[in-house]
Amino acid sequence: MLLVMLVDDDVARTAPLKQSLTDAGYQVIAHLSSTANLDDAVRELQPDIVIIDTDSPSRDTLENLCVMNETVPKPILMFTHDGDIQKMREATKVGVSAYVVGDLASESLMPVINAAIVRFEEVKFLREELDETKQKLAERKVLEKAKGLLMKEHGFDEDHAYAMLRSVAMRQNKRISVLAKEVIETATRLF
Amino acid sequence: MDFGRCDCPVDKGVLAMVVFKPAAGTPFLFSIFEFIFLVGNMNLVKPELTEVNIGFIPLTDCAPIVVAARMGFDKKYGISINLHKESSWAAIRDKLISGDLHAAHALYGMVYGAELGIGGQQKDMAVLMTLNHNGQGITLSNQLKTLGITNGTELSRLLKQYPAKLTFAQTFPTGTHAMWLYYWLASHDIDPLHDIKTTVVPPPQMVANLSSGNVAGYCAGEPWNARAVYDNVGFTVATSQDIWADHPEKVLGVTAEFADVYPQTCRAMVMAILEACRYLDVLANRTQVTDLLAGPDYVNAPKAVIHDRFVGSYDNGNGKKWQDANAIKFFNDGKVNFPYLSDGMWFMTQFKRWGLLKSAPDYLEVAKKVNRIDIYQGAAMAMDVSIPSNVMRASRLIDGVIWDGSDPDAYANRFSIRA
Repeated sequence: MLLVMLVDDDVARTAPLKQSLTDAGYQVIAHLSSTANLDDAVRELQPDIVIIDTDSPSRDTLENLCVMNETVPKPILMFTHDGDIQKMREATKVGVSAYVVGDLASESLMPVINAAIVRFEEVKFLREELDETKQKLAERKVLEKAKGLLMKEHGFDEDHAYAMLRSVAMRQNKRISVLAKEVIETATRLF
Repeated sequence: MDFGRCDCPVDKGVLAMVVFKPAAGTPFLFSIFEFIFLVGNMNLVKPELTEVNIGFIPLTDCAPIVVAARMGFDKKYGISINLHKESSWAAIRDKLISGDLHAAHALYGMVYGAELGIGGQQKDMAVLMTLNHNGQGITLSNQLKTLGITNGTELSRLLKQYPAKLTFAQTFPTGTHAMWLYYWLASHDIDPLHDIKTTVVPPPQMVANLSSGNVAGYCAGEPWNARAVYDNVGFTVATSQDIWADHPEKVLGVTAEFADVYPQTCRAMVMAILEACRYLDVLANRTQVTDLLAGPDYVNAPKAVIHDRFVGSYDNGNGKKWQDANAIKFFNDGKVNFPYLSDGMWFMTQFKRWGLLKSAPDYLEVAKKVNRIDIYQGAAMAMDVSIPSNVMRASRLIDGVIWDGSDPDAYANRFSIRA
């Protein structure tokens, strides 16, 4: 049974990965944050594979273990195993880097890597969706504020204020949220 | 002048005119005129890429790349630099190899580590220019200071008696800080492979690891040594310029493939960054650059921590203050930036010394292949920056041993403390 160590600060991302690896019959021996003492953990627990966030600062700690000690994980750049640089790009894009001990055959390795890619991808998608929602919410707030300003300063009702903003935005060929922001900025400067 | 590498159609057209025109009469005058025209035109050869992604690690010495991008030197040479802040050297290396980054602020030794396949996949690499000399340091904890340790000799004496091995951190196994730490320890009769434990700690976490006692000391780039003094948890026992005055440090690294496919883009990057380096060597400009670097997008540290050592004003945290004549240098009339072959070879001698290389590489051939003097010279000439006449330089290091690139394998094997 392959022993897998996960290093990631993002528990939301790695918890499902841990579950799916366990379901697939791998033993996840540790789930560490990036500030943990990786030297000792790797020496004591002797994982076969370490899966780590590509952007974790602790990667350099693993690199040092690789170079200074023969019996600890080596980085795998995935294209060396399957001749496909796309695979490595795909993995690093979603944030998966892997270190492996010894000459583990790519057949036993790939399922772990693939599971990690899928899980990291899902979280990346969710995070992007969240960012987009936050962005929309922020724009909505700006628009409400700009409408309020117009209503107060010019005595427009809400529909009229919105129609006004929309037609000016269309005429100036800019997004209504951008215009709304400008209205607020101008108002702040004037009053 | 070597035009051999210019395979751009514009150059060929101009060369053809040089050959053709003198035949029409007054050959002498025309040839000089055409020569000026040709040199002028070389500057106009457009970069193949207009946008380049350059990675950096948040350290004071990322300044040349940040300045080139933020102060518009890039646009002057027909490129636009997208800055990518990275969180590890491993990520920089992998993203260069995967093509996600076109170029990067890189540890000199790391580029050679990738070239030689140490610790990972072998990849042909290229050094386009050196970004800085000096400006790193070795910090020891205040716990050691309370034990009366203030220098290397005292540390050596302590380690000979101490029952447990102390842990020292550096930043990357084939990096410059590992090499400065090992060299300094060995020059004080401490064997870095046996007398201590070594680990890697990300530089922004060094100070926390020092104050918690996880590490007894470390070697890192600024501002992380100044930070230990500022936070009153450690002191600077040696600057990197104490170990080797005007040592090579960070480089602009790309893959060999990138340098071959995009030579004009490489030349434009070198020109933009050379101009930034020249700007940075005017000390008066560094205060303004400190304001830029201190922000969260770059080094993300208090201005006071970055500024003093950036302008050469040192406080070692143990009662000594001085103005350092060999503080970080970015230009020094082009002497900093020329990719001396002896600099690249030195890192290979140390890899051999510490067992990272089991057998001797072809030092000179590897350095000639990696250090792209051709690209650097093209850029430096076009900017009227002095070019050293010798591809080797001689230096005396802290232990009195001279390195001049003349017999690398003998040099690698001459040290009594080695793997």
